[in-house]
Amino acid sequence: MRSYSLNIAGYIIRFESADGGPDLVPSERFLRNICSNSDPDVMVNVHAGKLSLPRGAKMVFNAPYVEEVNGIAEKKRDRFWSVHKHHNDLFIKTLFPLSSFRKKAVLKYSLSAPEWDLWIDGAGTGTDPMEYPLDGLILYYLTVIKGDILIHASGINQSSRGYLFSGVSGKGKSTMAKLWDKAGAKVIHDDRLIIRSNGSGYKMYNTPVYNNDEPSESPLDKIFLIGHGKRNEIIPVSGASGVSLIMANCIQHNWDPKIVARLLGSVSIMCTSIPAARLLFRPDRSVIDYILENE
Amino acid sequence: MSDLKSVYQHSPAVVTRKTGNEYVLVPVANNIADMNSVFTLNETGAFIWEHIDGKRCVKELIEALMEEYETDEKTASEDVFSFLGEMKKYLIIND
Repeated sequence: MRSYSLNIAGYIIRFESADGGPDLVPSERFLRNICSNSDPDVMVNVHAGKLSLPRGAKMVFNAPYVEEVNGIAEKKRDRFWSVHKHHNDLFIKTLFPLSSFRKKAVLKYSLSAPEWDLWIDGAGTGTDPMEYPLDGLILYYLTVIKGDILIHASGINQSSRGYLFSGVSGKGKSTMAKLWDKAGAKVIHDDRLIIRSNGSGYKMYNTPVYNNDEPSESPLDKIFLIGHGKRNEIIPVSGASGVSLIMANCIQHNWDPKIVARLLGSVSIMCTSIPAARLLFRPDRSVIDYILENE
Repeated sequence: MSDLKSVYQHSPAVVTRKTGNEYVLVPVANNIADMNSVFTLNETGAFIWEHIDGKRCVKELIEALMEEYETDEKTASEDVFSFLGEMKKYLIIND
């Protein structure tokens, strides 16, 4: 393809291959998100080749490549992706550790202009412009622009009520999603969600992670900060504690105070209308009954 | 090392938001490993934080705390120095 648009969490992302650019080949996990909308939130022009950063560009944020082995994060290499700033221009340099090709890319992006440029070096004849980690990075900066929230969480909908279960690795997000799935609830996702305000309330959306991910959304009615416990227990949190606990589970690149302030504002406002609680739980059906009884 | 005459101001490397009588404090970070450190300042911490303004010295912070919470000098002094120690990464000493 030379161009296509994706609808992810209501964001319209359009990709167009520039003159001499590679064919665009979306991976299977994005096929259900392809849409015909031509009024994008962001347009990404995809180029073949290398973009050298301007002289004087400063690295403001660095992410090493970390793999999780048995729930323990292990750093595999110092350089994975990084954010660079030169005057008002922003750049992300990244490698593609899961690719079978030795590709590198530079995304020139902006928090104010809706047209971005992506240079992929080593793309061959066809490439997915949303290949990991670009998918998460593009979605993250869209949430920054829109004042939304990208969070480590699973989410479910049961009888028109939307519950979000947030925690970092090992806290039980997937376990919780599986338990609700078995109980007949609709699982929005088991790992990562985008939360957006629609003016009258909040909705949670999945993002394509697995090949069988269908676009999915639900109203958001309650947030649980989860952890394993010897018994099921809900401990309501509010005010600064609630905001802090939720912030700690948000995906955030805190190199710019304005970005931090925007997310902090979004989470604080959300906490005024969406109740939050810590949930210690036993990994069995009893936690579902416990939550439903306490609702 | 701070003493009673030391004057502190907030570091620009931290973003705060007041929620009720408390503060949420999020450090600016340049590495993904430091990303998810978020702190909450309780009411006393929030009071001290608000009085750190680049002008008041530590002695004045202690006096303000004594007056606000009607506490003795020893307790107020311990609270202020403990706070300054814990928050030193997010404060700049002026002298």
